[in-house]
Amino acid sequence: MGNRVVIDPITRIEGHLRIEVEVQNGQVVDAYSSGTMVRGFELILKGRDPRDAWAFTERACGVCTTVHALASVRCVENALGIVVPPNAELVRNLMFCAQYLQDHVVHFYHLHALDWVDIVSALSADPKATSELAQSISHWPKSSPGYFSDLQKRLTKFVESGQLGIFANGYWGHPAYALPPEVNLIGVAHYLEALEWQKEIVKVHTIFGGKNPHPNYLVGGAACSANLDDANALNAERLAMVGRLFDQAQEFVEQVYLPDLLAVAGFYKDWGAIGGGLSNYLVYGDLPTRGYGDPTSFKFPRGAILGRNLAEVLPVDGADAAQVEEFVAHSWYDYSGGDESGKHPWQGETKLHYTGPKPPYDQLEVDGKYSWVKTPRWKGHAMEVGPLARLLVAYASGSAEVKEEVDGALAALEVPVAALFSTLGRTAARGLETRLVARWAKEFYGDLLANLRNGDSRMADTSSWEPSTWPASAKGVGMTEAPRGGLAHWIVIQDGKIDNYQLVVPSTWNASPRDAKGQRSAYEASLIGTPIADPERPIEVLRTVHSFDPCLACAVH
Amino acid sequence: MANLQRVYVWELPVRLYHWVNALCVTVLAVTGFMIGRPFFPHIGGEAWQNYSFGWVRFVHFTAAFVFFFNFLGRIYWGFVGNEHARWHQFLPFGKGRLRRQAKEIGQVLRVDVLLAKDESIESVGHNALAGVTYFATFLVFLFQSLTGFGMYAAMSDAKLPRLFAWIVPLMGGDFAVRQWHHVFMWFFVVFSMVHVYLVFYHDYVEGRGVISSMAGGWKFVEKPKP
Amino acid sequence: MTKRPLSVWEHAQLKGYSRREFVQFCTWLAAAAGIEASAVGQVVHALETKARVPVVWFHFQECTCCSESFIRSSHPIVADILIDLISLDYTETLMAASGHQAEAALHESMTKHQGEYLMLVEGSVPTADGGVYCCIGGRTARDILVEAAAGAKAIVAWGSCASNGCIQAARPNPTDATPIHELVSGKPIINVPGCPPIGEVMAGTIVHLLTFGRIPQLDGLGRPLAFYSRRVHDTCYRRPNYDAGLFVESFDDENAKRGYCLYKVGCRGPVTYNACGVMRWNAGVSYPIQSGHGCIGCSEANFWDNGPFYQHLAGFPGFGIETTADDIGVAVGAATAAGIAVHAVTTNIRKRKLLEVRNEPAGPAPSAGEKR
Ligand code: HEM
Ligand code: HEM
Ligand code: NFV
Ligand code: SF4
Ligand code: SF4
Ligand code: F3S
Ligand SMILES: [Mg+2]
Repeated sequence: MGNRVVIDPITRIEGHLRIEVEVQNGQVVDAYSSGTMVRGFELILKGRDPRDAWAFTERACGVCTTVHALASVRCVENALGIVVPPNAELVRNLMFCAQYLQDHVVHFYHLHALDWVDIVSALSADPKATSELAQSISHWPKSSPGYFSDLQKRLTKFVESGQLGIFANGYWGHPAYALPPEVNLIGVAHYLEALEWQKEIVKVHTIFGGKNPHPNYLVGGAACSANLDDANALNAERLAMVGRLFDQAQEFVEQVYLPDLLAVAGFYKDWGAIGGGLSNYLVYGDLPTRGYGDPTSFKFPRGAILGRNLAEVLPVDGADAAQVEEFVAHSWYDYSGGDESGKHPWQGETKLHYTGPKPPYDQLEVDGKYSWVKTPRWKGHAMEVGPLARLLVAYASGSAEVKEEVDGALAALEVPVAALFSTLGRTAARGLETRLVARWAKEFYGDLLANLRNGDSRMADTSSWEPSTWPASAKGVGMTEAPRGGLAHWIVIQDGKIDNYQLVVPSTWNASPRDAKGQRSAYEASLIGTPIADPERPIEVLRTVHSFDPCLACAVH
Repeated sequence: MANLQRVYVWELPVRLYHWVNALCVTVLAVTGFMIGRPFFPHIGGEAWQNYSFGWVRFVHFTAAFVFFFNFLGRIYWGFVGNEHARWHQFLPFGKGRLRRQAKEIGQVLRVDVLLAKDESIESVGHNALAGVTYFATFLVFLFQSLTGFGMYAAMSDAKLPRLFAWIVPLMGGDFAVRQWHHVFMWFFVVFSMVHVYLVFYHDYVEGRGVISSMAGGWKFVEKPKP
Repeated sequence: MTKRPLSVWEHAQLKGYSRREFVQFCTWLAAAAGIEASAVGQVVHALETKARVPVVWFHFQECTCCSESFIRSSHPIVADILIDLISLDYTETLMAASGHQAEAALHESMTKHQGEYLMLVEGSVPTADGGVYCCIGGRTARDILVEAAAGAKAIVAWGSCASNGCIQAARPNPTDATPIHELVSGKPIINVPGCPPIGEVMAGTIVHLLTFGRIPQLDGLGRPLAFYSRRVHDTCYRRPNYDAGLFVESFDDENAKRGYCLYKVGCRGPVTYNACGVMRWNAGVSYPIQSGHGCIGCSEANFWDNGPFYQHLAGFPGFGIETTADDIGVAVGAATAAGIAVHAVTTNIRKRKLLEVRNEPAGPAPSAGEKR
């Protein structure tokens, strides 16, 4: 065995993630991923009103806020046989798109960029060359030499103040940084601009859901009634604002995010061969164009790919007890049928039982249980979920839009298709789908306007609102594609109350510990083989882990 | 009427208190229930055209003030009023009372609830069980005042409600305060049913003029044996 | 590298803000922090001369939406200045360093600024089973909290998690999630509840601390009066509908389309203290009620256990979901009425003799003590 390197806390993620890797001869030879915080949502949900569940589950995470609420109302609607009106579906789609736009941009600039961008190196950039470079890759107006030189001065003063704040103790100057100073300076500029911008697009949530983070949802539709003739409802002014926000977002994505992404990626093509990890991909699909009940209408198609075989997309069914199962062989839970067994979420159990080392501890006992994350499997396979999975399944399903987007990027970077199965591929896929989502949002927006113009203003179906109309017992599954991947909630309703509620979350798939058979999940698998230049400063581990955009509050809940 | 004699039981302040209180509690319970569950039909029109729900609340708050000061008056009278109005009628203060009252409660239960036919109750004013029940009622009056004014403090600049603002954090927030304030409305509904029934019952069975006593002040009681 | 740290005004200058813009910004900050106009000069002066205050931001049992809300704070200059106004020396969400380097940054700040740093806490702390439900760097959240609190100048508890336990403390609170003020004593603690709090409320609280060097006026629950002294209901623009008895009866009905009051579909505005009605969310765009959903009371302690959210009264634990005090009251009332009826009938049977005797016009009335 090699040298154990522990990184805890992993920062620039959501939640509490601990990574332990074995390093041998400058390479990771084994990896352990552990979620170290739990709240017990699935226990807290028991006995509550199913119509309230969205609010509870939404609080699983404030970064991917909204997606749990969506999965939740869908699982309740599925259990009760409710079909939401088309406008509500469109409002949900628009909120979905706004979430992707905000979350992906924030991930790229604020959570991931510092793995690739050396802030200190930006101090030695030539503002004029930076400006020329910026103008050569995009029409974004803020790219004059003066702009960059002001920024650089400000950065210099900041560094000289001796108070480095969030940039203190970064891996600055690490040999793994490969960007020229000018690209670094652009990165810093857009880090700040993205911080300003991200608070704009979320206003779509504020309009439809009243606030962000944690906008409101409603079982049966959307609470924001539409009435073109009232100041108190969704009217022309509100809709115009939504339209403008999506226009601005599209511009930011086209003119800032994507050009930056491709520019940075061009200097890190070696990462197109690192961090591939698993070869199986799972997608629940989302963005229905003819209703959530019709998966063939999804912009992100549903399906699974095994062994990187893009020639075949396998069908996925959340209600099928043989497909999704969760294991706790290495997780701090007890199962009534023994910890080796798997459970479909409708039969899921959540019984906390910590067996790890007594804190404070230096190392986890990785032979036993070592995480609060459960381990989900699809037909027994470890699956990667997320942007890369989505693009691959869409690509393999023959989506022309996706194919064009992906092929275009591969050509621009002059890399083979195989480069997708990597850390770089994951990060690139996130950007590419953001561009698609920005485009799709405008289609949904147009559809919503058309409906309202045609006199259909229905936003909710409340015919099954009253629990007295419900069957004594019912089961439902609600699936969506959260920014980090396939998300599903399973509910069992008994006498109007929640009898069982289970969340299986994207980061649960990716961040989980190995299963009873010893199969690694996505983070662990993708870290194997990662080069480590300096075990004291393992920035390479961060790159791969960050490429998944970890969310541990989600993963454990 | 040979064996009966007239006794002056309820002084004017007690009688006045009683009917003002009865009226206030009825109004508070009805308006309170409406606040909790607005059930009146839509008057229609735009918001600026009517203030119906506002009036319901206004009546509730007005009645609340009357109710509260009336209640304070009764508390005072418990110290200065006649034998039947005093606090020891409600609670067994003093030597020997506890036993006597406990015994009487047992008696009342047998006679009034189990309908035993072989006993009679000595008390002239409240019987012991009634006394304890009224005392409980006073506690609920107090509780409703605390919680009511506690909530009211947030919507008023008046000094009085401010004095009760502390109850809100103590009970864990406005929601809990409202919830319990609402729950105790039901106490009054049930109390009033039983109470009114029992006074009629006593009048009917005993013929002491219990009902009219709360109007005129006089009761009829058996002459003591020579 | 051992220069005097830059003041906020110097930072603003570097960013190309004019003096006028800077003063405007100060005025806005002052307004956001509930500071009177006459004191704006003080704010300007404070920001002109003060170095960035060291701040450490902890994450325990939380969902990071308080951090997210914070970065939504919306005045044009604010996202920038908050990087420059404070020196955010530790925050797992944004800091560049991870692992040992992150811990080193934290300890450096805590040692160097002992007694001076501002401590911001997002999330509750699990106290069950020795704290194993939240560990960072192999240490329990509680351990970290207690150590850091000892050297802090003041503590801000962000959101409902840190100020009252929030969702993880909801029944049955599986991890004994505990709010900060129950675990730390002897330090000023400001509770900024909300799930999450409004971004500008968070920024306003920080600004108040920094410009005046003391904590803002707090209410009995430790919340800044500036933002939590009024109920959502008291500043709700739908209030005239409430007073007029115009209510939404069910979602998306005709009344909903006209923006009537949401009281009957469970709005918690009347029992919730927050600034949503006045400040609104995301730069004043809307707030829950304006977008058609009732307030769920997200800034009140225990609001999760005050459900179901769509009915006015909470369900009674142990009864069905929809069983409220009213249902129980009606049942008890009906039982009482039935009891009375039975009692009345029985009385007439059991005590008939007695009644007959008493009602006999000429007969001798029973006397006290006589056996009946
Ligand atoms: C016998 C006495 C009382 C009864 C039966 C009673 C009953 C009620 C009921 C049922 C509610 C509705 C609660 C809900 O579901 O939201 C209510 C509300 C209220 N009551 Fe009372 N109440 C009484 C005395 C008082 C007093 C003494 C005050 C003092 C001011 C008071 C102030 C209030 C207030 C402020 C509200 C909330 C109204 C609003 O926010 O619109 N109540 N009461
Ligand atoms: C038709 C309606 C009512 C009648 C005829 C009535 C009659 C009476 C009578 C006769 C007494 C004296 C009982 C005794 O000798 O022990 C009494 C006492 C009392 N009643 Fe009522 N009552 C009525 C309604 C109410 C209502 C609505 C309430 C309010 C909750 C109420 C509260 C009380 C209280 C608190 C006492 C004790 C009085 C004291 O000693 O201060 N009554 N009532
Ligand atoms: N993993 C995860 Fe989420 C996402 N995207 C949820 O479903 O981040 Ni908090
Ligand atoms: S208070 Fe609410 S919003 Fe803030 S971290 Fe806690 S759960 Fe998230
Ligand atoms: S919508 Fe809610 S906060 Fe607004 S007036 Fe109605 S009850 Fe009050
Ligand atoms: S739910 Fe929360 S956001 Fe405001 S309106 Fe209510 S306090
Ligand atoms: Mg789960």
